[in-house]
Amino acid sequence: MDKNAMLEKARQLVDKIDDLPTIPVVATQVLQLLDQPDVQIEEVADLMLSDQVMTARVMKMINSPVYKPEHEITSLKRALVFLGLRHIREVALTTSFINAFDENKGAMEIGAFWEHSFGVGMVSKIIAKKVGYPDLEKAYIAGIIHNLGEVFLSNFMRDEFQAVLDSIKDKPVKLVDAEIEQLGTSHCEIGLCMARKWNFPEVYCEVISLHHTPSEAVIDPVLCAIVNLSDLFCSVRELNFGGREWISFNLFEEEAWQILKKQSPQFAEMDVERFCYELDDAIPDVKALVDSIFNSKEQAEP
Amino acid sequence: MAISDKDFEQLRDFIYNICGMYFHTTKKYFLESRLARRMEATGVKTYQDYYLFLKSPRGTEELKFLMDEITTNETYFFRNVPQLNALETKLLPEIVEIKNKMGFRKLRIWSAASSSGEEAYTMAMILLEKRATLLKDWIIEIVGTDINETVVAQAKEGIYNAYSVRNIPDVYKRKYIKEDNGKFILSPDVKKFVTFNKLNLYDDNKMIFMKTFDIIFCANVLIYFDTASKSKVVQHFYNNLQPYGYFFVGQSESLHGVNDKFKTVHFPGGFTYKK
Repeated sequence: MDKNAMLEKARQLVDKIDDLPTIPVVATQVLQLLDQPDVQIEEVADLMLSDQVMTARVMKMINSPVYKPEHEITSLKRALVFLGLRHIREVALTTSFINAFDENKGAMEIGAFWEHSFGVGMVSKIIAKKVGYPDLEKAYIAGIIHNLGEVFLSNFMRDEFQAVLDSIKDKPVKLVDAEIEQLGTSHCEIGLCMARKWNFPEVYCEVISLHHTPSEAVIDPVLCAIVNLSDLFCSVRELNFGGREWISFNLFEEEAWQILKKQSPQFAEMDVERFCYELDDAIPDVKALVDSIFNSKEQAEP
Repeated sequence: MAISDKDFEQLRDFIYNICGMYFHTTKKYFLESRLARRMEATGVKTYQDYYLFLKSPRGTEELKFLMDEITTNETYFFRNVPQLNALETKLLPEIVEIKNKMGFRKLRIWSAASSSGEEAYTMAMILLEKRATLLKDWIIEIVGTDINETVVAQAKEGIYNAYSVRNIPDVYKRKYIKEDNGKFILSPDVKKFVTFNKLNLYDDNKMIFMKTFDIIFCANVLIYFDTASKSKVVQHFYNNLQPYGYFFVGQSESLHGVNDKFKTVHFPGGFTYKK
């Protein structure tokens, strides 16, 4: 199907929704502050602390077994130093995204959705490390947000999306293909429209839009390939969205594999079997993290 | 004695590197209890010492005893559900499509360490269910082989205990299993699709005649072989498959570093090797 037509269709669908979640005021202010020259981390921390939920979630994300700081980080300021100024923007956006969609009102079970998302974040970080990608945090965040568009479909086009999910139940058909066939667009284009509305940085917009077709990427094909492969692996182990999609793939034929092999020849030597088994072992960590993020309201020290 | 994370990881890595079998963290306590038995039998006091013993020249023999403890020899019907799902959902229809195009309507499957026959008969039941649809007018040949003549005889007999049949879905059980005094007797309708023979996987002269299979299973056997034998046997399996065929090993097994020609194909809950 024509890409432009799919994007146009996505734009119409997203524009039609009046009560589309917006970024919390604090997050907007954080983003504005970050645009100023010579901004100090203390200022950002002070501003973020005015939103307790956001603060708690940043702390949970940083201290998770997935992120693995060497020592537990107990103050928001130290958390932001750990992240570095360049990543505060993404974390603010990511926690906003989580806030906007933490209710179970859509066609899919939101807990399973976040487990998949954080799983993809974690695995993206692991793969990023294996291929020598320079920015592991970027890979982590890209993984968490890659399926932005699916929450839209689930929450705002509930019946249509449910019909798509029902149509592929136990069949070897990819969700993204079924969406294109039945809705004329997919979570990739819808996610892109939402990410643009929220002013996500372009590199993340590209991941959201092209995480199923990484060879089309121009800004950061390696990042798109990392998230693509990570998404595939999570979909065949137990971070598979409660089995809503039956996926199989021949690893060596995947375009992401080719891109990453080119990026790092030793990646091709990876023990894929062991990687899958270790992934199984890491699943309880991801589930615990998601549980702690969604059930935490405690406040961090300034 | 509780095993520390460090000792567990060390032993897990050793077993994985030598045998190609991964111990998931969830099986830590299982490993702990089985190690305890071997440590008692060998008089070794700590996990660390046992690890060093395994690594020593005398360890090769001990590793066989350990593997006997940690692999359950008993098998049962419908054991590896993700594999069976993958076959039914995707792999079997794909093979059928390829062979239909060639006008070659015959399916050949090999259970290469068939033990008492549960794996081979499970496939027979699944394929039998498709005789009216996907496999209409197809010839089905399933071969089971094992080195042990006693289990080959049991497989031919087709009589099982409650443990073996506990995982069979009701729809199959009703059709193909008859209960008689605590024994579970397999229907002749299933038995007629499967032949069993004695075969030693090390026997090159016989291995080269096991030709043209579409699917081969070999679960929980290669873990006992040293690397050189493993490579040789797996190469035979590779040669014995059709160009589009699939090779399945057991859950938690790995062929990494054994054969670089097979490609991994992943599906929910597992993976297989494609020629």
